[in-house]
Amino acid sequence: MAESIAERVKNVTAELLKVDPEKVKDSARFVQDLGAASIQSIELVAAFEEEFNIEMDQDEALNVPSVGEAVAYITKCVAEQHGK
Amino acid sequence: MKLVIFEDASYEQFYPLTYMRPTFDLRCGSTLLREKIERAFGRKADVVFVRDWLREAYAVRTSAKVNDLGALAGDDLVLVNGRGLWIGDEFPPAGRDACAMAGAEIVYATLTKHTAARIQAADFAGFLAAAAKAVPAAKSGLKLLGYPWHLIEENGAAIRDDFKRIGRSGVHGTLGPSAVIWGPQNQVYIAPTAVVEPCAVIDTQEGPVIIEEGARVNPHSRIQGPAAIGRDTQVVGGKIREGTTIGPVCRVGGEVEESIIHAYSNKYHDGFLGHAYVCEWVNLGALTTNSDLKNDYSTVEIKVKGQLFDSGSTKVGCFIGDHTKTSIGTLINSGTVLGMMSNILGAGCLLPKSVPSFVMFMDNKFYKAGLKQLTGTARTAMGRRKVTMTPQEEALIQRLFDLTKDDRDELIKKSRKEMMIQRGLR
Repeated sequence: MAESIAERVKNVTAELLKVDPEKVKDSARFVQDLGAASIQSIELVAAFEEEFNIEMDQDEALNVPSVGEAVAYITKCVAEQHGK
Repeated sequence: MKLVIFEDASYEQFYPLTYMRPTFDLRCGSTLLREKIERAFGRKADVVFVRDWLREAYAVRTSAKVNDLGALAGDDLVLVNGRGLWIGDEFPPAGRDACAMAGAEIVYATLTKHTAARIQAADFAGFLAAAAKAVPAAKSGLKLLGYPWHLIEENGAAIRDDFKRIGRSGVHGTLGPSAVIWGPQNQVYIAPTAVVEPCAVIDTQEGPVIIEEGARVNPHSRIQGPAAIGRDTQVVGGKIREGTTIGPVCRVGGEVEESIIHAYSNKYHDGFLGHAYVCEWVNLGALTTNSDLKNDYSTVEIKVKGQLFDSGSTKVGCFIGDHTKTSIGTLINSGTVLGMMSNILGAGCLLPKSVPSFVMFMDNKFYKAGLKQLTGTARTAMGRRKVTMTPQEEALIQRLFDLTKDDRDELIKKSRKEMMIQRGLR
């Protein structure tokens, strides 16, 4: 069965930030809880764009604070850009 | 008589230096090209013509009328190409019709008001073309600059000319104890509020040195003429070698050779900058260094309008657009163009020959940069020097962000794919 958007967001986050997947919960904040430095945040945005074949507004994307909010934001982008 | 200065269609050849300013506001010597023209005519420009999308941002910076064809009526006109380098003694004939050419290009045209009144045109380009046909042409001895490296090639001669036209020399400001003017004493101009601190060397053996109002030269700096240090600029040690202009309100150290730093930019630390033009609000991190000569001494190629172009010169450094920042240890190859408002993190190897505008470059890859964040940073940097970004400038930056989108999109997509593979996500 295909992974959900949430699962894919969490997998990419855990892999790129090299953190335990168990820590990548909806409530986890990228900077404070997962240790994403500014450079990693930029890579993370790029990785989500590539993973979901979407384009995100960089200013908006870098202001998304937590994993759960990233899932919601990416879900919205996927729906707008791919109609799903 | 009305002095009319125009920007012709060659402005794109000077990108990224001309993204934020007309061609005639580029610096060569201690003054801008426009200031040399105005000095030659003894008056400010009455009317200027610039590309349409620069009009609003430029109009708030000038007292001249901008892109106003109606303002040409009722007077004798001198129409001057803003790419002209007005050094030397050529001066247009007054009160008669003439057109001075460099090859097939117009350097300037003079029109009596009667001739001007007979020209019917819908825009300035049409007016100029009609004017050139209507009056006798002659060859001009003035040069038209065509590419960014021409500004560098002419900078030494332009500084010498600027020095001559100041009409004064000598130390009018402070020369600290043990500071030395090495060479002819009449080849220096130190303005009344400028300070040369102890143990600095001003070397005038090969050319004049201009140090303008409020400038400060710290101990252990060596400034070799011809050189110009702009208003309120600080030279914080190091070697400022021949043919260098540092414009107003900069902080510069390390080694700089035959380069122009336009204004409001910092290169505070060690590192070499040679045969380069740096626009405004640039910060070069410590040990940022550029090459300006290839190891095989061949001519340097440089990207102009998206295509690699042989400069014909063996000494070409780099060209850096407004608001771009480099990290510590950034290494820049000969003939490299760095666009505007990019954030560049050197990775210990040479940068690509071209980095587009509005990108984050790190780990040898291009990433998107958020325009709001970039603009916010720019506003902060300007505020630190008590300069306010106008709404018109902000609109211009947005326009340039859109204009340069295609230059970066493919690079960013390619980099994303490479990053995914490197991080084990593909």
